[in-house]
Amino acid sequence: MDENVKLEAKGIYKEFDEENPITILRDVSFVAKKQEFVSFVGPSGCGKTTLFNIIAGLLEPTGGNIYIDSEQTTGTVSSQIGYVLQKDLLLPWRTIEENVILGLEVRGMKKSEAKDRATEYFKSYKLDGYQKKYPSELSGGMKQRVALMRTMIMEPEIILMDEAYKALDYPLKIDLESELLSTVKENKKTVIYITHDIEEAVTLSDRVYIMKARPGEIVREMEIDLGVDSTRMNERRASKKFNDYYETIWQSMGTSK
Amino acid sequence: MQNTAAVAASGKRMSAMKMKKLEGNVKLRIAQIGFLAVLLLLWEVGARMGWISTFLFASPGKICDTLSNRIASGELFHDIWVTGKETVLGFLFGSLLGSFLGLLLWCSEFVAKFSKPYVAAIGSIPVMVLSPLVIIWFGTGIASKVAIVTFSCIFVSLSSAYEGAMQVDPDLLNLMRSFGASKFQIFCKVVVPSSMTWVVSGFKMNIGFAIVGAIVGEYISSDAGIGHMILMGSNSFHIHVTLAGLVTTMVFVFVLNIAVGALEKVLLRWKR
Ligand SMILES: Nc1ncnc2c1ncn2[C@@H]1O[C@H](COP(=O)(O)OP(=O)(O)OP(=O)(O)O)[C@@H](O)[C@H]1O
Ligand SMILES: [Mg+2]
Repeated sequence: MDENVKLEAKGIYKEFDEENPITILRDVSFVAKKQEFVSFVGPSGCGKTTLFNIIAGLLEPTGGNIYIDSEQTTGTVSSQIGYVLQKDLLLPWRTIEENVILGLEVRGMKKSEAKDRATEYFKSYKLDGYQKKYPSELSGGMKQRVALMRTMIMEPEIILMDEAYKALDYPLKIDLESELLSTVKENKKTVIYITHDIEEAVTLSDRVYIMKARPGEIVREMEIDLGVDSTRMNERRASKKFNDYYETIWQSMGTSK
Repeated sequence: MQNTAAVAASGKRMSAMKMKKLEGNVKLRIAQIGFLAVLLLLWEVGARMGWISTFLFASPGKICDTLSNRIASGELFHDIWVTGKETVLGFLFGSLLGSFLGLLLWCSEFVAKFSKPYVAAIGSIPVMVLSPLVIIWFGTGIASKVAIVTFSCIFVSLSSAYEGAMQVDPDLLNLMRSFGASKFQIFCKVVVPSSMTWVVSGFKMNIGFAIVGAIVGEYISSDAGIGHMILMGSNSFHIHVTLAGLVTTMVFVFVLNIAVGALEKVLLRWKR
């Protein structure tokens, strides 16, 4: 297998409901290379979240396998994967700091040690001073940042992000995406990202998989190279190649319906 | 400079708003107390003028006399002590055990489904029906009343806590599982704390059930307690005694409500 491949899915099938099975995912195969930013775009209900749950080991596929570093991990939770779910899912009874160290606590790290480790994260995520606040006191954007921090502090190699920024307003979204991109590039993470938004997919990704619904299948794979080094969304979007990519994806999504 | 002035001004406006709200609250309280005072006054005057039968309805003055006599003799505090012990002990046993079992049912879908009809059947027995049996089994002393109160409270807490546990966002469970959390860790770190709102609401409902349980127990068999006092009063047509017992019950429930309210503030302090 390719040395460069971080995560691979081979022939994933998923059916729910044993009596009257409906195929949610059919023969989904893809790779995410080391330090690559891979996006999935597709209509609502095409099985993106289901695919992520399978990758994360929370759900058993009906068929097919997941490999991380060429090792089969199907149906098991890997400590290499950090999963940022569709909602921020902060625990309202825990302070921000306690929320951030939740995963470390689960791993058995001592609270004091975990809080020490959190200190630098609070600084680099511009949330220093918010440690003792409760989630209800934070804005939506801050909460999403905390959710990302909670995942990043576990130091996963692979980050799964399921429309984490969907509920935010446009300028904030642009900001957080820029931040995300520079963080993951800096820390050399592999990212697999779900979005409805073609613009977002083109701007962020090195590669895009386009899915269709009923059954969920990959209809097209596309390499993206905007030829821009910046991690700022607006600068990336200004690339001359942007429109071509956008148009191509738009076309293949349209024809796949 | 201008900035600080603006902040100070807005601070003033804030406190002015708070003052207004406070003023409104005070006015409301005064109106409520005034209304009660007028009612009591009419009752008292009516009783003295002979418009209202004191034999059937007593009078505020007589009720006050009864209460102060019984306070002076220590009788009232003894009754409160007896009923209070029964109520609080049974309330704690029932609410804590019920909540604990309800939360625990989250751990096993099988046990939850299996026990459902039994819980529903036993929970639907009115406390009046069971009480004579409990007196036979546990005797006429405090144990039987505590048992009745426990029975009155346990099912409310059990179903409330279980409902709360089942309402936990499945995505939160997924999040915990993605951290590699064990079922026990998920239970302790997510299920129990996120059900606390429901557990507390079970506690609140149980205040009423507990006092009913204790007084019903005393009606059936007792030699002291608020229920005993009420019963004795009405058996001998001393309506003022019965009404004094009623007032005592109201005050007692009021105090219990404050206690549970304080507990709520502690358990749900992250809410605001
Ligand atoms: N546990 C389940 N049992 C049965 N059907 C399910 C289950 N989970 C998801 N589905 C179905 O699978 C399909 C895909 O769901 P999924 O949540 O993966 O879609 P999605 O692409 O993430 O959609 P969205 O973009 O709206 O989040 C949907 O039709 C959904 O109804
Ligand atoms: Mg989804």
